[in-house]
Amino acid sequence: MRVATDIGGTFTDLVYVDDNGKVGVAKSHTTPPNFEQGVIDVIEKSGIDQQDIETFIHGTTVIINALTERKGVKTGLITTKGFRDVIEIARGNRPDLFNVRYKKPVPFVERYLRQEVEERLNQKGEVITPLNINQITELIEYFKKEQVEALAVSYLHAYKNPEHEQQTVELIQQLWPEVAVTASHEVTKEWREYERTNTAVLNSYVKPIASSYINRLNNKLVENDADSFNYIMQSNGGTTTFEQAKKTPINMVESGPVAGIYGAAYLGEIIGEKNVIAFDIGGTTAKCSLISNGEVKVSTDYYIEKDDLNAGYPIKSPVVDIVEIGNGGGSIAWIDEGGSLKVGPHSAGAVPGPVAYGQGGTEPTTTDANLLTGRLSPENFDYQVNLESVKQAIHDKVSKVYGLTEEEGALGIIRIANANMLNALKLISVRKGYDPRDFTLVAFGGGGSMHAPALARDLGVKKVVVPVASSVFSAWGMLMTDLRHDYIQTYINRLQDIDLSELNNEWNKLESQAKEQYAEENVKEEEIVFNRFVDMRYSGQEHTVKVPLAGGVINEETIKDVIALFHELHEQSFTFKLVEAQTEIVNLHLTAFGSVQKPELQKFEVENRPLESALKETRNVFYENEGWVPTKVYHRDLLVPGMKIEGPAIVEEPTATTVFYSEQTLSVDAYGNLLIELEVQ
Amino acid sequence: MTAMSQVKVDPFTIEIVKDSLIAIGDEMFHALARTSMSPIIYEVLDYASGLTDAKGQLLTQGNGVTGFIGMLTFMVKETLNKFGEEGLNEGDIIIINDSYVGGGSHLSDVGLVMPIFHEGKLVAFSANKAHWTDVGGKDPGSFSNDATEIYQEGLQFPCVKLFDEGKLNQSVLDIIKVNIRFPDLSIGDLWAQVAALRTGDKRVKELCEKNGAEVVQASIDHHLDHGEQMARKELAKLPKGEFYAEDFVDDDGFENGPFPIKVKVTITDDKFICDFRGSHPQVPGPVNCTYTGLVSAVRTIFLAATNPSQDVNDGVFRPLEIITDPKSILAAERPAPVSIYWESMQGGADLVWQALAPSLPERLSAGQLLSVCAVTLSGDHHETNEPFLIVEPSAGGWGAAKGQDGARGQFCIGDGETYNVPVEVAETRYGVMIDEYSLRTDGAGAGQYIGGAGVTRAYRAMTDKQFVSATFGRNKYLPWGLNGGEQGSPNEFTIEKANGEKDGPFGIYPRYPLNKDDVVKLMTATGGGYGEPKKRPAEQVARDVKNEYLTVEQAKEVFGVIVNEETFEVDGLIGRGA
Repeated sequence: MRVATDIGGTFTDLVYVDDNGKVGVAKSHTTPPNFEQGVIDVIEKSGIDQQDIETFIHGTTVIINALTERKGVKTGLITTKGFRDVIEIARGNRPDLFNVRYKKPVPFVERYLRQEVEERLNQKGEVITPLNINQITELIEYFKKEQVEALAVSYLHAYKNPEHEQQTVELIQQLWPEVAVTASHEVTKEWREYERTNTAVLNSYVKPIASSYINRLNNKLVENDADSFNYIMQSNGGTTTFEQAKKTPINMVESGPVAGIYGAAYLGEIIGEKNVIAFDIGGTTAKCSLISNGEVKVSTDYYIEKDDLNAGYPIKSPVVDIVEIGNGGGSIAWIDEGGSLKVGPHSAGAVPGPVAYGQGGTEPTTTDANLLTGRLSPENFDYQVNLESVKQAIHDKVSKVYGLTEEEGALGIIRIANANMLNALKLISVRKGYDPRDFTLVAFGGGGSMHAPALARDLGVKKVVVPVASSVFSAWGMLMTDLRHDYIQTYINRLQDIDLSELNNEWNKLESQAKEQYAEENVKEEEIVFNRFVDMRYSGQEHTVKVPLAGGVINEETIKDVIALFHELHEQSFTFKLVEAQTEIVNLHLTAFGSVQKPELQKFEVENRPLESALKETRNVFYENEGWVPTKVYHRDLLVPGMKIEGPAIVEEPTATTVFYSEQTLSVDAYGNLLIELEVQ
Repeated sequence: MTAMSQVKVDPFTIEIVKDSLIAIGDEMFHALARTSMSPIIYEVLDYASGLTDAKGQLLTQGNGVTGFIGMLTFMVKETLNKFGEEGLNEGDIIIINDSYVGGGSHLSDVGLVMPIFHEGKLVAFSANKAHWTDVGGKDPGSFSNDATEIYQEGLQFPCVKLFDEGKLNQSVLDIIKVNIRFPDLSIGDLWAQVAALRTGDKRVKELCEKNGAEVVQASIDHHLDHGEQMARKELAKLPKGEFYAEDFVDDDGFENGPFPIKVKVTITDDKFICDFRGSHPQVPGPVNCTYTGLVSAVRTIFLAATNPSQDVNDGVFRPLEIITDPKSILAAERPAPVSIYWESMQGGADLVWQALAPSLPERLSAGQLLSVCAVTLSGDHHETNEPFLIVEPSAGGWGAAKGQDGARGQFCIGDGETYNVPVEVAETRYGVMIDEYSLRTDGAGAGQYIGGAGVTRAYRAMTDKQFVSATFGRNKYLPWGLNGGEQGSPNEFTIEKANGEKDGPFGIYPRYPLNKDDVVKLMTATGGGYGEPKKRPAEQVARDVKNEYLTVEQAKEVFGVIVNEETFEVDGLIGRGA
């Protein structure tokens, strides 16, 4: 049996699939600060026997929480002489252009804990000044005195030659084995000293936190006699072992959310959809990611706390490309000083929640608007809903301002929320040169199925899939993941006069590195699947395009192919190509999957039941042009493969509601997924 | 008011279309950075792009730097002025860098304008303006701190069609190619600019097709009015009356100067008037700024004083009025050189800032480095022997403000979403090594809240026959303190030669020769302080000493705090009152 648990802000989700392909689900409350207890609780609640667990996969927010709440440990930094302030100067940029009181991000290491040593490499990685070992010994004493618990080491050009960093770390481990230490080249081998240094610092900052959490979780599992292989979800959409996760916890920064994206890709593969837009609406945010030809996009352009006004902190670890906006079910509708209606990014959260919860919320939210327009029914809530107070809130805060009825105001909230989400969806598709008509929208999270069919119409997507277990889909996605490691090496070289034997040698080095790592994790060599990519650009450009590269020995033919493909992808992304311009490689990117045997999913029996047997009720729903229209509502649990429903209609399940419209038809596939298709005109 | 803009459209559709316009601006902006060939564009983001309506009113602008806010409008208006609506056709793209009309800054900033048509009717313009690595002229990088007339500063593009109904005017392109250094970079950037304009064109057309041109027009009107309304709400919160400031622009590169500049700011219930009359006339050296440059600078401070994070469009600036003398250093006319115009331009912004800061401590700070501190360094690469050219601004110290210390190591207010070039990238790409990139903790800008430290960046030449030119204004007149805070330190740079000789410090210097292992040490200002130093909590001062932002001596002399050199604890207080 494979079991996945995913810790969220409010709930800890569990999804399992047994050896017959049967899927089961459980939910229990998240239990901060002892998150591992929530995991054990949900296992117990699910009723599965822990001894039956063969593979246990875990997604956690412990790392991102430690970072954003500044709950990491006191960390020191050792840099090349002359460069300890790089982490404070950062890039000098200011997104909040017109604010002369701009506050730049405060470095995670205060200045007195940033110390320099004599050593220097040049841009080719050659030693210009040898490492001064004595200084390191002195610094260790200094840091001990300052009661530092973790250290980061970051030297210039270490991505090219890690020798000095390695020597430094060895010495530290010898003289001070208790301290957590990270060398920059261990977390990223890309150039740009600020980004690499910051990544190393953040890794050290959370390392003791991660170790203690994983140890506690492991002990709990062992206590209960579980004899499973245990894995943790990483930000790259793959898993790693508990041991590896303790070394590079920074790779878990987006542990939870990416699993849903990966799940959407996997589901797409099962149902024959290679091009998928994964779309996840939760309580406070909506997230989306584009999967082209089955490939989940992973990059190292990741930041925390970066937005329109703040520069944030870069983390150069591989993260699935996700666009996230502050628009979820709990997002608050408000009117700005100029009289424009806005939805989000402020959220009513779980407490007090939307007005409909009756828990003290007074600001109208998207959920309230969905309720007032009949898209949600009072029965969908765990709370006793007072429809009058919802009406009153929407009237006072929105409708009154424009002289509209409550339902018109509510519909306005839904339309603005949809427009925000549509912009995010366009950002990852149209704006990257993809045609949405070639894609299927996979909608999940508590609110995904509520909004996706309307968005699909505007975006031009022809098919929407609402998967089984859509409200716990991230955990479902974890069940389907493989082990994954990414190896990225900055390697600046023009394609025209590239040294093929050196290039082949570099790939071999990366692949042996991967094999060694997997050997440590007990993965057999034949189970490893490699994919190669090169980050390429026209000479002189800065930004790169990720281009897939065939495996095996690279010859002149391969180089020609990759250049041709680069031109094509450049044109797709940026509308033009420069066929005569020089092209160059910036990074080599190897992904290494340790593929895992996955259970075959159970198919539903086709039953010959009339559609009416699944009908729950008919209720009035308020639409944009039609006004109130009686709309049929069905039980999802009673729908079976073969049934077809013409929109507009609603399908309800305990934790999610699917609303679809005229000219859309809903059917159920063999696995129980809901498919909503636009009628061909 | 045309009949069209009176179409009744529901408020939510208007809002949604408006957001789409902003998203289009955003898309155009990112498209340009991602395809540019030049670090000045993709790292420094020294460009702007946006949309205007059919009359040239700015609807949305993506900015990398603040310095361009307002220039797109003038470019489009000049295009309309020259060609008229009837002289513009689908597929036209106009090129313009005229410094004196049409949103001019210096010649290096090259603007493109594209009219957008829907069903044969002009509906909007897409426009951008970007700093080209080179536009010809007497010096590499074109902008030159010892130019005496505009003709030395590069090619002038006087609002001509680069594309005529979609067809490239090859002759114009050929002329450009042979007149500029590094044509691959600049022509590459030209294509990136064209691609971004076309993206805007395509998206606006889609928006019109989906919603109808009337709805889009109604949304545009609403958008501009909304901007104005937001600005007026903020204006109402400002103190009313007249506010004055006077200061100096250091010099013009020919040891002329200092040049006095002054402002009277009048704030009423519905106007924000900046009167710069009485400032120095235009000067022989290239520090002159043209009127549109000044407008951009004043708009920046207007936003800082009202609502820095709002969506920017021309409606927002409706309450703003700017008055100058003709042929002023702040409103120069042909053929005055303008290469390093930002010195006067930021000087103008700084005046308004100084005038209002004492009355607006919640919004404004003490003075900062202010100068772009531009550096150009050219020579041959030590590995490839190919020529290289560094063109970059320098980060420095910001002023402290009520409740916060100044930011350390930030680009000046005229820059913005500007990125420094990483040491590892610079050492790979250029014929230099960087000996040091660190905070310049000189202890200047003392106060209850201390000014942000400037930055030291030291380039070591790796080959002979390199040349460095630097324009570090605010070298003589320092970042000002506020409300009892002390002033900051100067922007300056020195030369340390391989043979041990030293030269400098300098503020403005053209083409200083460097040979192998000579080092140019670039040092930027520490910002001004806020409040009296002796009000800074003693424990905080001790912490500053421990962090080496202050010395033990400074703590004692300036802040009145005796800090133990070993334990960094407070050992005593001097003259700090009860």
